[in-house]
Amino acid sequence: MKSADMRQPVSGRSGWSRQRHPYLMAALVFVVLCVVNAALQQTFLRYEVAISNVAAFLPMALLAVGQTYVILAADIDLSTGAIVSVVNVAVVTIIESMGGTGASMALGLAAGLLLGITCGAINGFCVAVLRLQPIVTTFGTGIVFAGFALWILPQAGRQVPPVIYLTYAGTVLGVPSVIWILAGAIAFAAFVGRTRFYKALRATGGNIQAAYQTGLPVARVRMGAFVISGFFAALAGLALVGETASGDPLIGGALTLPSITAVVLGGTALSGCVGGVAGSILGAFILGLISNVIFFAQLPFEWQGLVQGLIILLALAGGVVMARGKQG
Amino acid sequence: MEKPSLETLKTFIKRPLSIAVIAILVLLVGGELLSPGFASPRQIVALLTIAALLGVVAAGQNLVILGGREGIDLSVGGVISFGAFLAGNLMQQSDANIIHAVVLVLGATFLIGMVTGLGVTFLRIPPLVMTLGMLGVVQGGLVLLTRGVPSGRAAPLLGKIVSDPVILGLPGIVYIWILVGITLSWVLRRTTFGLNVYAIGTNETAAELAGVPVRRTRVMVFALSGFFSGLTGILLLGYTEYVFIGAGDQYMLPSIIAVVIGGTSLAGGSGGYVGTMAGAVVLILLQNILTTLNIPPFGRQIIFGVTLLGLMLLYGRQRRLRG
Amino acid sequence: MPVLEASGIRKRFGGVTALAGADFSLHAGEVHALVGSNGCGKSTLCKIIGGSVAADAGELTLNDKPVTFSGPQDAAAEHIGVFYQDLSLIPKMTVAENIFLGREPTGRAGLVDQPALHQAASAALAGFREVLGDGIDADTTVAALSADQGQMVEILKVLAAQPRIIILDEATAALDRNQVAAVFEHVRSLKAAGCSIIFITHRMDEVFDIADRVTVMRNGATVMTADSDQTTREALVEAMVGELATARGKSARHTPAAEVALQVDGLSSDKLVDVSLQLKRGEILGLGGLHGQGQSELLRVLFGARRMRSGHVRIAGKSFDPRGPRSAMRHAVAYISGDRARYGVMAIRPIFENLVVSLLARERRQIIARRKLEGEIAPIIETLKLKFDSLGAAVSQLSGGNQQKVVIGRWLATRPQVLLLDDPTKGIDIQTKVDLYATLDDLCAQGVSIMLYSSDDEELLAIADRVLVFNAGRIVTELTGEQRTQFELYRAAYDAGHTGLQQAASKQTPAQQTGSHQPGTQQIDAKEAGSKATDSEKIGSKKIDSKKTGEATE
Repeated sequence: MKSADMRQPVSGRSGWSRQRHPYLMAALVFVVLCVVNAALQQTFLRYEVAISNVAAFLPMALLAVGQTYVILAADIDLSTGAIVSVVNVAVVTIIESMGGTGASMALGLAAGLLLGITCGAINGFCVAVLRLQPIVTTFGTGIVFAGFALWILPQAGRQVPPVIYLTYAGTVLGVPSVIWILAGAIAFAAFVGRTRFYKALRATGGNIQAAYQTGLPVARVRMGAFVISGFFAALAGLALVGETASGDPLIGGALTLPSITAVVLGGTALSGCVGGVAGSILGAFILGLISNVIFFAQLPFEWQGLVQGLIILLALAGGVVMARGKQG
Repeated sequence: MEKPSLETLKTFIKRPLSIAVIAILVLLVGGELLSPGFASPRQIVALLTIAALLGVVAAGQNLVILGGREGIDLSVGGVISFGAFLAGNLMQQSDANIIHAVVLVLGATFLIGMVTGLGVTFLRIPPLVMTLGMLGVVQGGLVLLTRGVPSGRAAPLLGKIVSDPVILGLPGIVYIWILVGITLSWVLRRTTFGLNVYAIGTNETAAELAGVPVRRTRVMVFALSGFFSGLTGILLLGYTEYVFIGAGDQYMLPSIIAVVIGGTSLAGGSGGYVGTMAGAVVLILLQNILTTLNIPPFGRQIIFGVTLLGLMLLYGRQRRLRG
Repeated sequence: MPVLEASGIRKRFGGVTALAGADFSLHAGEVHALVGSNGCGKSTLCKIIGGSVAADAGELTLNDKPVTFSGPQDAAAEHIGVFYQDLSLIPKMTVAENIFLGREPTGRAGLVDQPALHQAASAALAGFREVLGDGIDADTTVAALSADQGQMVEILKVLAAQPRIIILDEATAALDRNQVAAVFEHVRSLKAAGCSIIFITHRMDEVFDIADRVTVMRNGATVMTADSDQTTREALVEAMVGELATARGKSARHTPAAEVALQVDGLSSDKLVDVSLQLKRGEILGLGGLHGQGQSELLRVLFGARRMRSGHVRIAGKSFDPRGPRSAMRHAVAYISGDRARYGVMAIRPIFENLVVSLLARERRQIIARRKLEGEIAPIIETLKLKFDSLGAAVSQLSGGNQQKVVIGRWLATRPQVLLLDDPTKGIDIQTKVDLYATLDDLCAQGVSIMLYSSDDEELLAIADRVLVFNAGRIVTELTGEQRTQFELYRAAYDAGHTGLQQAASKQTPAQQTGSHQPGTQQIDAKEAGSKATDSEKIGSKKIDSKKTGEATE
């Protein structure tokens, strides 16, 4: 029986709607921030400055990409920052202890990615198989990973061969490396976004009981999301190796909570199913631009933190409202 | 506060804290064996003092988690720091200012919590997100207030209240904590407000239909978390006399863990504060043992994290999907 | 010959026995109806066959081969398709995504072929185009669908897997006659293609329309199996209900006073159109008609759980604005829902708390004076004949009937003057129902006024002094005295006068049946289907966030 009475269906007609493209609001905010930033910083639109901004925002963007998959499944990963740290120090240590040769670099990078995947698998095992609650559990694994980071490299230091940071800061085939990495992440997301896995992931986040009843491999899907998150955290750790040219066991500590902020800003709902990677990348960039704007607005130093916090709080509220759409 | 009846006390003691209490005993005995003097009176006093600080902030966290709807308060660390600084700056090392400093700080942090509660309740922003955002705002506000420079001193009387032995050699802070414990347990079990908190944590819809003032209760729960964080800040100030920026940050994660160890479900609606108190003691004991065993910092961290995961295995497993 | 056989199946959920040795056999190419009153276990049996619930004991054989399912995917691998009563749709995904969830068409590199998905979904929808109504296509979000559309999508989803054994558990509960006819056409062609179907329904005429054989369950066990052309309605009902069929009987008529306890004038809301009525002191006013025509809505609006758009309400002559449950409570109005898991009990809390919560709220008491309160609720416990081990035990330990008594007791403690009962006996055992009727009679004698909606027509007609029949949000007629028969009830419920009016609203066509047409008692859960269910659970403008309990639904 129709209960909708005279109401028209809310959304979801074919074509563009907020439901289908939840990152639209983030895109708008991004554009606005670019304009503001350009107004405050004359050099903003210059090529070198733009690339250096991308390089600065890249690690957060990578983290946000990985976090998106976990959040779409209605879980959360609070260990991403720690994974960044442990991968960062592991890679640097491997490379340096093997003499900084080409082989050592290849091995180091590969080992870093593998380490990230392993950490993600551990998270996934605890949450999806042991059915532990995600928030406290990934807090716990994060502590463990961070501990390992301290073990591998108690103090920031070690060096990597110049070729690494030169490559990171430079170009490959005429395109800046950071753009390659970003493009790679986007390509990955575009590919995965069209897989059955992705549909199953969203279904799990949308209504896990229904997904299970439908016969979807719910535990495997959640595990997969955590592995992806670990992989991207590792990628972020590698990017930071490229940027700082050394290792730091505490480098990832402050990155976890902002990564969640970026995802929410991008229109992905913490309750799952709604949202996507595009929004999260925009969200990470928005966070970075807010920082820039605060800096270039030359607000008195003591006001900067508060203003930034207020803007982020407002943006978060906005992101939540957008993800909710017209339901309730 | 009215005196708890004998019945309250009896039920108080009979609560199922078996695992936490056993853990405390095991850790105490083990620690003493591994490192004689571990369980000496002086050490126990130090232990209980730190546990008290954690315990008070965990009281607020406990309320938020009990209220359900994925309640969690990530802003407690910032509010503690804020409270400590505000108290220090209002007291300025003068005993005469204590009362009004305490009242103002508790009022301010209560209001901060209320803002959080309003955002969660009326804008329906998930607590994780809202408290995360508030953390940033509070920390920013703190920088504004202090201009980045630590300032403010505790009034000497506060320091005495917190640290001087009162009865049984235990310092005032421990008794303040016990007072908080008795009061909060009583509120949770003997007042309508407490019943309402459990109700909204269990089934918000049914609670609303039963006439429970859902929104008011939820806002209050967050406001109280702010209050307890502020109280912790004041006590912290009394304990350390000077406070440095970020002093409160280290309490956020342990406050959540203490609540979980104590048996309160993260889903809301079940659990109580006495368990949390035991949980706080277990946590600090664990940290102490790890320090005493001369395990390097990374080792401590790893063991700590693994222990937490182990505890989650005992307490925190979620429902199967298959009936 | 049996393509599926279940024997001796047992299942307990916590303290509740859902199945106590149930048997069932399904022949190839037949439609086999499974009937029984609420709580008899038919849904649980189907969930076990479908793999989403594990049996405690018993055996399941497929084509003479014993099978054990470790999850729904195992059953799916055996080509068993299940339509779930509580729908398995993902609200925020589209119709197309839902229909082909887990079996999306893939193209190059194993990626989902989005255009093919869209096309396949459109084709599936086309099969039911005439009965689906407006506002639904392959890209519509399921959350935007109405209850019947949601059910149709779920049916399409089940069929998309091309199963050989299909279980349809209340698949027609929210559908109108045309939609049911379309579904039955599909079922017949599936039968012809060799599929075997288990069909659960509350509607007797559907049983005789589509089923070859019918099995009756009662109290978790199978009591009767017969060919549908070898048995009668009465025989089935008798098997369903057992000897207690007569226990219900006709309760004593009440003598309502002339005084008006509650007066409603021109009330309109989302689903109500210009409702006016008078509730007299000491009477039971029944709200009848087909399921979801506004009966529940009216009760909830009066309690403040749904928004009233226009109209006036007066309680005992004084104007009353139902802004929310608390304000209604202050005016001595109480509301009790039959969906106790979602709207009634706080499952993990003690019985004591569940009983006193409203009393404390009503009288704004801040302190829980335990002994005093126990004294106050003792007479209520006795009146309701509430059975429990200790007041401190969690309410989830109680049987369904006793849980409902707790919810009722909670409100009786507030000494209400007006009682709004929203299908209060849904899923409750006969004995508890009898107890409840007695309680209601007592309350009427004391001057309490009761407005009651029941999805069980016979119950409604037996208890109510007068019945207001609803159709599409309006009161169509009032039945009093001798008019209180099912015939009159359905004649009014299917009143042709209103079907043309609303564009999309009522999809009811005039009924031609003479027998009883039991409205589906199953309410669609707005959260699962994401559809705006007819008796949807909105309080104010908020979507209700309900927690599932470990309770068995059937």
